[in-house]
Amino acid sequence: MQTILVNGESRRVEASPETPLLYVLRNELGVMTPKFGCGLAQCGACSVLLDGQEVRACVTPIAAVGAKEVTTVEGLPARWASQQKLPAASAAGTLHPVQQAWIDEQVPQCGICQYGMMIKVTELLEHNPKPSNEDVKAALTTSGPSPHLCRCGSYAAILEGAQRAAQLVAQGRGK
Amino acid sequence: MNAPDTVQPVSAVLSRRGFLAAGGSLVVVLGLESVQAQSKAASTSLDAKQPASWIEIHADNTVWIRTGKCDFGQSSIFTAYRQAVAEELGVTFEAITEVVTGDTDRTPDGGGTFGLLRTNLLNLRKAAAYTREAVLDLAAAKFSVPRSDVKLEDGVVTAGARSITLGELVAGQDLRLTIPVSGRATDFMGVQVQGNPPLKPPSSYRIVGKSYRNSIIPPKIDGTLTWVGDVKLPGMWHARVVHPRTLGSKLVTAGTVDAKAYPTARVVVIGNLVAVVSPNEWEAVQAVSGLAGTTRWSDWKGLPGHGKLLDHLQRKVDWKEIEVAPGAANKGDAGVASARTHAGTYFMPYLKHAPIGPTVSVGDVKPDGSVTVHTHSQNPQYLRGLLAKMLGKSEDDVVVRTYAGPGHYGRSNGGNAGSEDEAVLLSRELGRPVRVQWMRADDMQWSTQSSTSYADIRIGLDESGRIVSYKADHRGPPMQDDRPIGAVLAGLPTIEPPGPKNPFPLHGARNNIADRWIYGAIDNVSEHGHGTFQLGQRESPIAVGLRDHSMRTPAQFQQNFPRETAMSEAAALARADALQFRLDHVGEERFKAILLRLREESGWNTRPSPAPTARAAGKGVVRGRGVSLMLRDNGYWACAAHVAVDLSTGVVKVERITTVVDPGIVVNPLQLRRQAEAGSLMGVSEALREEVAFDESGITSVDWSTYPILTMGEMPEVKIVIAPRPEVGNYGQGSESANALAAPAIAAAFFDATGKPARRIPLRPEYVKAMLAGRPA
Repeated sequence: MQTILVNGESRRVEASPETPLLYVLRNELGVMTPKFGCGLAQCGACSVLLDGQEVRACVTPIAAVGAKEVTTVEGLPARWASQQKLPAASAAGTLHPVQQAWIDEQVPQCGICQYGMMIKVTELLEHNPKPSNEDVKAALTTSGPSPHLCRCGSYAAILEGAQRAAQLVAQGRGK
Repeated sequence: MNAPDTVQPVSAVLSRRGFLAAGGSLVVVLGLESVQAQSKAASTSLDAKQPASWIEIHADNTVWIRTGKCDFGQSSIFTAYRQAVAEELGVTFEAITEVVTGDTDRTPDGGGTFGLLRTNLLNLRKAAAYTREAVLDLAAAKFSVPRSDVKLEDGVVTAGARSITLGELVAGQDLRLTIPVSGRATDFMGVQVQGNPPLKPPSSYRIVGKSYRNSIIPPKIDGTLTWVGDVKLPGMWHARVVHPRTLGSKLVTAGTVDAKAYPTARVVVIGNLVAVVSPNEWEAVQAVSGLAGTTRWSDWKGLPGHGKLLDHLQRKVDWKEIEVAPGAANKGDAGVASARTHAGTYFMPYLKHAPIGPTVSVGDVKPDGSVTVHTHSQNPQYLRGLLAKMLGKSEDDVVVRTYAGPGHYGRSNGGNAGSEDEAVLLSRELGRPVRVQWMRADDMQWSTQSSTSYADIRIGLDESGRIVSYKADHRGPPMQDDRPIGAVLAGLPTIEPPGPKNPFPLHGARNNIADRWIYGAIDNVSEHGHGTFQLGQRESPIAVGLRDHSMRTPAQFQQNFPRETAMSEAAALARADALQFRLDHVGEERFKAILLRLREESGWNTRPSPAPTARAAGKGVVRGRGVSLMLRDNGYWACAAHVAVDLSTGVVKVERITTVVDPGIVVNPLQLRRQAEAGSLMGVSEALREEVAFDESGITSVDWSTYPILTMGEMPEVKIVIAPRPEVGNYGQGSESANALAAPAIAAAFFDATGKPARRIPLRPEYVKAMLAGRPA
């Protein structure tokens, strides 16, 4: 039995310590946006943030989570609200700028990879709020254990989504 | 209930089944004859309170549409379908608040998710037109005015100064509009709407043609949507399957799981289907390794291996077993004398659909024998029929519920993607819901593939460099094996594998000419398709071998790559510019228009290939450009690729890809652009990276390192140019053409850059180095 911090909430977990975070999130905690893609850290469909750093939940045992906070796409709105110190009223119903940008730019085709894409772009923008297209490509290709793969070929849309997200972040911070 | 009060607009029949204290609706239902033909299916598996209508108008002015098609990322169901119905019916886009998709007990029409803008869109447009006419009749009666005085716009019916909303018109009533249909929901093509209700002229369109957003995107992005892999049922167990060691292995003895380490895991064996089940998914994942390690299978070798595939197709396959398919455009004498001749052999490897998420389904067989499968299918009604056949049950007992899932690009347009039947069989065995999630290797090794193909092309030129003859012989295995693999492994009834005796034409083994002929200025044309059986299937003791299934632009991709690549080489032989050469030989003006537009938009440099800078030896990078052309489903497509070839490493980089499309009527420019961009990039991926690796026993591409696809870092600049022609009055199709155009344009660009032909894909360094050295790749 251990306790892990997921999207701002402390959650008790019964799974054994070697269980990958992905199975714990999906089966025990009902946190469903991290998707099973390969189980091999080769595709990025299961990406989550661990204290702001993107990791592959399919190969991260819960023992390795420790006291670090897990953030999934479900937790992105609250993460943004807390970073921006938004009042509760305006935080409710507000999406993270990356999510909003993904809708504005109609980024997904099938969309199964986009949770991992949004997690990775969130990580990027938290460190580099004005990325070049090359920065975005590098983040999604060479910065992690593997490239983030999109089979539908939505990479052009993802680039536009990331740039739109950067604009929204800048606007949000300017408030 | 009151006696039906019936009026008859066109050949649809409106009936008032009663009056209601609250609510009210007009629902559009299947024609009576068809309902009877579907026997019990219509009465037992469709909830009578939720009729499987095409269109429903509610008292609150909302409109629902229902379609048996599913969304795989195309968006059409949530955008184009809404737009077309709103347009034909006369309501706003926003009034259509719900699109019910896919579920066999909640949608009317069946049929596969393909040709979305072709027959399927026409079904909905006709249903909407019948509905509009019925509404106009109702309103004319209500206002006691001639019908010609009534009009319907934005959901409001007006007659002079009087007006009423659609909701008000149906309030308090239970109205049924019965429209004539043919076919059965569980037919491969589903149900077709009959008759010819008046359709609005495209010139009057106000909703079709606008860039509406896709309504399924917000619930995906905010995480509220239930995907197929997210389905959880009470008492559900998790399964992992141990697939046979080879594509022809029979089970010798099933292995065991370590009961101490995995106390709740159980082994289930049904024929050659071996699985481990557990209430705990991670336990099933861990236990399956031990089970696989201790399970013994017979050995089998019966495949050529991918390295010898072309040689096998050329020398070992008896192409006389299957009837030859002549092209529809064949004319003249392709053996006519020519001054010069280009001849080449072109080869496409097997490709994987390779969804990012491996197939996953939940089967739920109830004690009363009813079966529900929760899955992600491109043809849920056909899957329903396949599952009923496997179980020896009536289709009435089977319901298929569908969910969002990973795109798999045609793999399930014959119903199954892989896991559905296994989930049902394991659920029946356990008496509880079972979720089967294939692992990455299962999906790579046990799913179907897009068939290999090769072609011999001869293009004869006269003294002036004009084409006098075109001859093509395309050879390859069939592409539509719809047998559920779990049923095959379990030894249960399935439809026949593809072959000449299979009664359904799409399941025959003929290799029809799918690439529409476009070079109308050529007098002598001879195209033939030569089919065969799936490789290894007849030899496999379990009748498996390399199973194939259609994948984006099926067969047309395999035939267009040889034709278009050869056309670019023939242009070089004629010392003509490859784009101008096409302009000189296409028949239709629409092709000329998109080629001229492509020349302008792509920065095309008009000159013969190879480029003046072309070389194949030494170091450094050489650059070139190539063009390709396709007619698919009334969509006119042209593509230019600009590539860079690193002569030392053999790495080909696509720097820019430009696509021009004239689909006739453009329903939604934003969604078309997104689909075509993505299609282009999938095409670049296939051209540069993809090939199914296999040895004599089975597929050795097991993951993303052994089946690499394009990464974002390798993406070219993508430009999509939409050139609408609404005046032609028809709807051309979406993204899959974009995907097929990339490979021939890239191969031609490689030839332009290096002077060496590229007659196969993928342009991976190992093949490129052979091409540069003039060796067979």
